Amino acid sequence: MKKLLYFFTLIIGLTSCNDYLEVEPVGQVIPKTVEDYRSFLTSAYSITNIGKILTSYRGDELRLNTNASGIEQYEDIFIWNDRNASPLTRAFPYASFYSIIFYCNHIIENQNNIEGDQNSIDQLVGEAYALRAMQYFELVNLYAKPYDNNATNDEPAVPIVTVYDAEKAYPKKSLEEVYSQILSDLEEAQALVNVNQQDEGLNYRFSKIAVLAFQARVALYQQNWEEAIAFSEEALSIRSDIQNLNDNASIMPSEYNSVESILALENVADLDLVTKSSISDDLIAAYDPESDLRFALYYEQYNDGRYHSKKSAQNKFKVSYRTSELYFIIAESLAHLNQTDSAKETLLDFAENRYTPSGFSAYQDFVNTLDNESLLTEILKERRREFAIEGHRWNDLRRTTQPEITKTYNGNSYTLEEGDERYTLLLPNDAIINNPDL
Amino acid sequence: MKRLIYLLIFMPLALMAQDQVLVSGTVVGDKDGMPVVGASVYVSSSMIGNQTDEKGILQGAMLGTTTDFDGNFELRVDPNIKSLVISYMGFESKTIQLGNNTQNLKINLKESSENLDEVIITGYQKIEKRKATSSYAKIDVSEIEQAGVATVDQMLTGQLPGVMVQPTTGAPGAPSKISIRGIATLNGSSDPLWVLDGIPLQGDDIPEDFRDKDNIDNLQSSPIAGLNPGDIESITVLKDASATSIYGARAANGVIVITSKKGKKGAMRINTNANVFVTQRPDFSKLNLMDSSQKVDFELYLAGRSDLTYQHNRGAVARILNNYNQYDIFQDNGFDAISSAAQNAINELRNVNTNWGKELYQMAVNQQYTLSISGGSENNDYYFSAGLFDEQGTTIGTGQKRFNITLKDNFSITDKLKVGVALFGSQNRTSSYITGADAYTNPAYYARHANPYLQLTDANGNYVYDPDLVERSDLNLNYNVLEERRNTDHEYKANSLKSIFNIDYDFNDDLKFSTQLGLQLDFNSTEKFSDRNSYYTRKYRQRSQYSVTGGYDYFMPEGGIIQNWNADVFQYNWKTTANYNTIFNKRHELDLMLGTEFRQNKNTEIHTKGFGFNSNTLTTIPITNELALENSLFDTYKKTYNENVFASFYGTASYTLDRKYTVFGSLRYDGSNLFGVNPKYRYLPIWSFAGSWNLDKEDFMANIPAIDVFKLRASYGVQGNIDKSTSPFVVGIYDNVSILPGTNEEVIRATNAPNPNLRWEKTTSSNIGFDMSLFNNRVFLTGDYYSRKSTDLIGLRSIPLENGYNFISTNWATVSNKGYELSINTTNINTPNFRWTSGLNISHNKSVVEDIEIPENNLKPSLKGYSVNAIFALKTAGLDSNGLPLFWQNGRKVTAVEFYNLEEGVDGSQLSREDHRNLYTYAGDGMPKFTGGFRNTFAYKQFDLRVLTNFNIKQTVRAEPTYNPTQAQPGSNYNTDILKAGTGKYPALIGANSPGFNTNLLYSWYNTYDAGNTYRDLDIWLKDISYIRISSIRLSYALPKKQLERLRISGLNFNLEARNMFVIGTDYDGYFDPETYGSLYAQPIPKIISAGFNLSL
Repeated sequence: MKKLLYFFTLIIGLTSCNDYLEVEPVGQVIPKTVEDYRSFLTSAYSITNIGKILTSYRGDELRLNTNASGIEQYEDIFIWNDRNASPLTRAFPYASFYSIIFYCNHIIENQNNIEGDQNSIDQLVGEAYALRAMQYFELVNLYAKPYDNNATNDEPAVPIVTVYDAEKAYPKKSLEEVYSQILSDLEEAQALVNVNQQDEGLNYRFSKIAVLAFQARVALYQQNWEEAIAFSEEALSIRSDIQNLNDNASIMPSEYNSVESILALENVADLDLVTKSSISDDLIAAYDPESDLRFALYYEQYNDGRYHSKKSAQNKFKVSYRTSELYFIIAESLAHLNQTDSAKETLLDFAENRYTPSGFSAYQDFVNTLDNESLLTEILKERRREFAIEGHRWNDLRRTTQPEITKTYNGNSYTLEEGDERYTLLLPNDAIINNPDL
Repeated sequence: MKRLIYLLIFMPLALMAQDQVLVSGTVVGDKDGMPVVGASVYVSSSMIGNQTDEKGILQGAMLGTTTDFDGNFELRVDPNIKSLVISYMGFESKTIQLGNNTQNLKINLKESSENLDEVIITGYQKIEKRKATSSYAKIDVSEIEQAGVATVDQMLTGQLPGVMVQPTTGAPGAPSKISIRGIATLNGSSDPLWVLDGIPLQGDDIPEDFRDKDNIDNLQSSPIAGLNPGDIESITVLKDASATSIYGARAANGVIVITSKKGKKGAMRINTNANVFVTQRPDFSKLNLMDSSQKVDFELYLAGRSDLTYQHNRGAVARILNNYNQYDIFQDNGFDAISSAAQNAINELRNVNTNWGKELYQMAVNQQYTLSISGGSENNDYYFSAGLFDEQGTTIGTGQKRFNITLKDNFSITDKLKVGVALFGSQNRTSSYITGADAYTNPAYYARHANPYLQLTDANGNYVYDPDLVERSDLNLNYNVLEERRNTDHEYKANSLKSIFNIDYDFNDDLKFSTQLGLQLDFNSTEKFSDRNSYYTRKYRQRSQYSVTGGYDYFMPEGGIIQNWNADVFQYNWKTTANYNTIFNKRHELDLMLGTEFRQNKNTEIHTKGFGFNSNTLTTIPITNELALENSLFDTYKKTYNENVFASFYGTASYTLDRKYTVFGSLRYDGSNLFGVNPKYRYLPIWSFAGSWNLDKEDFMANIPAIDVFKLRASYGVQGNIDKSTSPFVVGIYDNVSILPGTNEEVIRATNAPNPNLRWEKTTSSNIGFDMSLFNNRVFLTGDYYSRKSTDLIGLRSIPLENGYNFISTNWATVSNKGYELSINTTNINTPNFRWTSGLNISHNKSVVEDIEIPENNLKPSLKGYSVNAIFALKTAGLDSNGLPLFWQNGRKVTAVEFYNLEEGVDGSQLSREDHRNLYTYAGDGMPKFTGGFRNTFAYKQFDLRVLTNFNIKQTVRAEPTYNPTQAQPGSNYNTDILKAGTGKYPALIGANSPGFNTNLLYSWYNTYDAGNTYRDLDIWLKDISYIRISSIRLSYALPKKQLERLRISGLNFNLEARNMFVIGTDYDGYFDPETYGSLYAQPIPKIISAGFNLSL
């Protein structure tokens, strides 16, 4: 009987022994420390997004190779055939933006529970705000009308999610609301981020300068010219290097390890873009191959006689913001503010780094002849040359004049009218199916 | 031989022996006077101990023998020995006193009434049958043993009521899919729990969709793959909640308890079993493929139709026409118009008829051996066995080889303390072919599509590559099935060691303790090797293509590819129970059990890949190109590890009054490591109660002599299950990424969408049943009716993408299963020379999805109100004058254009998702209405004939369409159905420009816009399958006694068996077997003829 008692004591002892069941599974974790959350945010940074690549097909920078295998994936994007697109067409990203937002939201929501050094936590949470703002900015620039400073911007844009709740309804919010979300996130980011510049290799992460560059771009897209200049100048006070191609043409200025790099996060090209398409005649014609040092650096002539992008799938070609863009933002804003001379000066300061000395002096002479309006056009032209195949072009077309574009594909001619509604993308079908409120 | 062993073992004893007394006699059953074969006759050790008072002589306990085929025995014993014990299963043991007359004793053994000895082995308890309240089914393996069957699961097909066993494919070593009483889940595993001598076995789940091309060629291990059926005594299946609840949450799909053989008391028995079995080459003509002449005509027909342009340049005919520049001439003016050279070349094709059946399938001679040594005494019993099973499959290149060793020993240290050990060791090697990701090179699939005129080797013996198996029109990676078979290897090796150690301690007659530790160590390794010259390697290398200036290069090194998966599984299971059984006032019986169980399993898998493998040096070449880092196909190392622990506490109580009324209850708490799971779900309560009534013990039944046993049972119980993969919290898994060159960082990726509202899945089951025995136990009847209802089943629901996820796990469905089972076992004729017994069982199960939440965007109708495996189809109504399908819609015939609401410019959006769902009507249940089996044995003198059958009645199966009307292409072979296209029920072949009103609309619908692939769902591809398979006919002959005596052996049987020879039922044209109807990838179920013998010493 004594043994029996022992036996039951043992059983009861084990009952309370919940430790036995505490097994921390290898490879699984609930983030707690700031290091965990850092890894969690890195995960969000690593979610790739082909939006920038696909918009290059939509804009005027490429020509499709009709015979390339798998070209079905791009042809309907190329010819703006959205309503009747082939099922094989590559989809513009939508879910992946919200996937990144989910990560950011989780970090922002839990910022007070993260364990660890407060500076690191602030930096981390600041980055999460900036990364979230970036997703909303990309979303509205694909799926909503461009922002117009002279309008109310109250047309529905995209849903805003700041807290995870699978039971909630997510209707579209107005463009104005999305932009104010972006601005407030950026302010939070600016207040929290405490790293001035990221080291090479980690410069996919937001830093003070990256947030400023982003703020400058948002201000530009909102036509807040003074603000755009102010943010740009503040960013340039942290770093203002421009790679002079006369001295160093070993890498492209857009590469992650160039002196210009501020944030190297987004993929701008992939293998298909290089092999299944070539650079449009229009874009080739925009360069003077003799004097423009970028021409040989950016493009390569294949056996088919056509020029192809040298920017490709490798990680080293990732880019989001770089110092050059700040000069362009300043120049463009100055031109809008009718400060023609300062605008010219900014443009030329920059251009000196891109042309052969003789080419530059010719360009200088040319720029100096321009009135304000043609200067603005020239700034945009130079901008096109500088940021070719970097995911800027489609947005630049959208936010400026929305010009008519005509393309030839497979013997047929296609036109995107000036101000065509197809300058704004339709929401992807799977998003509408999953969310009846869209 | 026997004597030699005896001599060695009993030498010490023999030396001590003085004048020994010869005891001889015959053992017969008291009811029928038939000899009892194999009864143990032995000297009880306690008797010796009592009588001689000499401890040493306890060895004498080994002394004993078994009766021969006529029930006779002979034994020499010490004159001091005054009594012998005779025992046999199903009879009451008897002790006889040895008087002066010790020879020609006639011993009557009394049959134990109502099989009192029979106990239900649940793995936790042994419950006397008369007290049983639950629903179970038991079968002795000896009754269903078949030669050439590697695992016991296949033998169970059709043998147990309520247990549905379906072969997945005919490949050697392929597991069977087992479901007990229907399927109670919509996305989890429905595999039952296998238990070996009390230890739950760990093993791979059999994929739900085992017909899937990726699953079917995946070699894997089922929990019982390493067990030799020859080592198994019996199988008990626990079905209702009161039986399974003691196993906890794992047992929701039922439990199959394996009881292995153990030594019988008595002399040592040596048993050898050897079989040679011949697997037949399958009948390839069952596939109804076109022969060369038909195929050439078909290609000419396609070439002649200018409107059919799908891949029209493929196939030998088109190639010839193009080579001679005659394609257009042929199309415009017909065969007579083309040059005679082209005509001859085309006609030449008709003379080549590659026999694909012969190239891919074979007849194979295989073998199987088991040797066992067993015996026992009062204090000890032992069973040792070794086995070899070697099978080559009917598909060339497949096979299985298994080695087994089993060692079991139980001994009593004292009267109260018993210890048992068992070791089951095995190696199971399965070999197969490699198929690529798209499975086009699965031999079964390839044989259906390869052109009949395609030669495999040319005149010089070089491989001819299939010009029509191409990746793209401009890329042929050269596939030849012979080269592929020669230059690739796929082997799965499962090394398994299962060991069980148990200690039983009886405090007294009432209170007993038992503790059991089971260890399972499995080392499973898979190796896939493809040499440099193989399609697999070429295709893999293609994935490493990247562009360089003006062209392409590959980063995968030249050479073979070697891929290994090494899995290391460790499991322990330690359970301890205390049993208290008592009877008071002679009418109250109380059985109590309390117990604990701790279980842990650890699973490590390492997957490595090497490229540029050289099979001579066995070395690989590293990939240096950075691009490989971004392509997970070229990851060279991956390790996964997981660990689970479980702690459970349980108890059962049973009370029986007057041996008539029994009530039973059980309760179990299952705890497990639930990482990130709501802590309130840490311990799952699982409970049941049940009762039974032995009607035959009632006075009012005494007047009905026909009824020997009549028992009613009822039970009710609740089981729970939680989804371990869903957490209320954000749970992450570690990974590594490289975002920018030169940095590689650890990341934490969020896994599933968190759902704080997730509840348990809960299944309540009730069961009522009866057991009956009639006419002096000549007829046994068991019937059960059950109902299981599973609520809050967890499934995936789509959620707005704005959440960051597409899906969330949510409680979304309620499924019920109702069914009945009946089994009848009869002894039809029983005379001294002739005995005929039969067993019939039949089961019916009907599942109903009572509630389900389907996503708005579903293309197919909701299962609500239908069975879990309901099949929906588009009802056709023949063809119109253009050969296009007509449909039934709202009771009237409509054209396809009307049915699909087609008009110029439609792109699929003309049908809302709801319209799309409404196209479908319910067409049948994918599960058979009735399943079961019929078993007959006939014994005539020395001959035994046994016939096993199983049947499946009314199962709706959807076959793959034999052709697609918009994509008929000359490069592939087809079922001859395509020749009937445009007639009967078969839709005509159409192209974009085919003549006929609105044909183009239907063309672009089926070809492009039909996102739901509704063509596959036309009812013309459905079939209601019913069949009876004669799975085994076995004739055996036992050598008569005289011969045995002359040979000095105790038994020799010869047997001949034919397996899977006939199937009677609905036709299954186009497929090898009714079981795999509709699966293009399944290997044929082999027809086997075997011959063997069984020798006992």
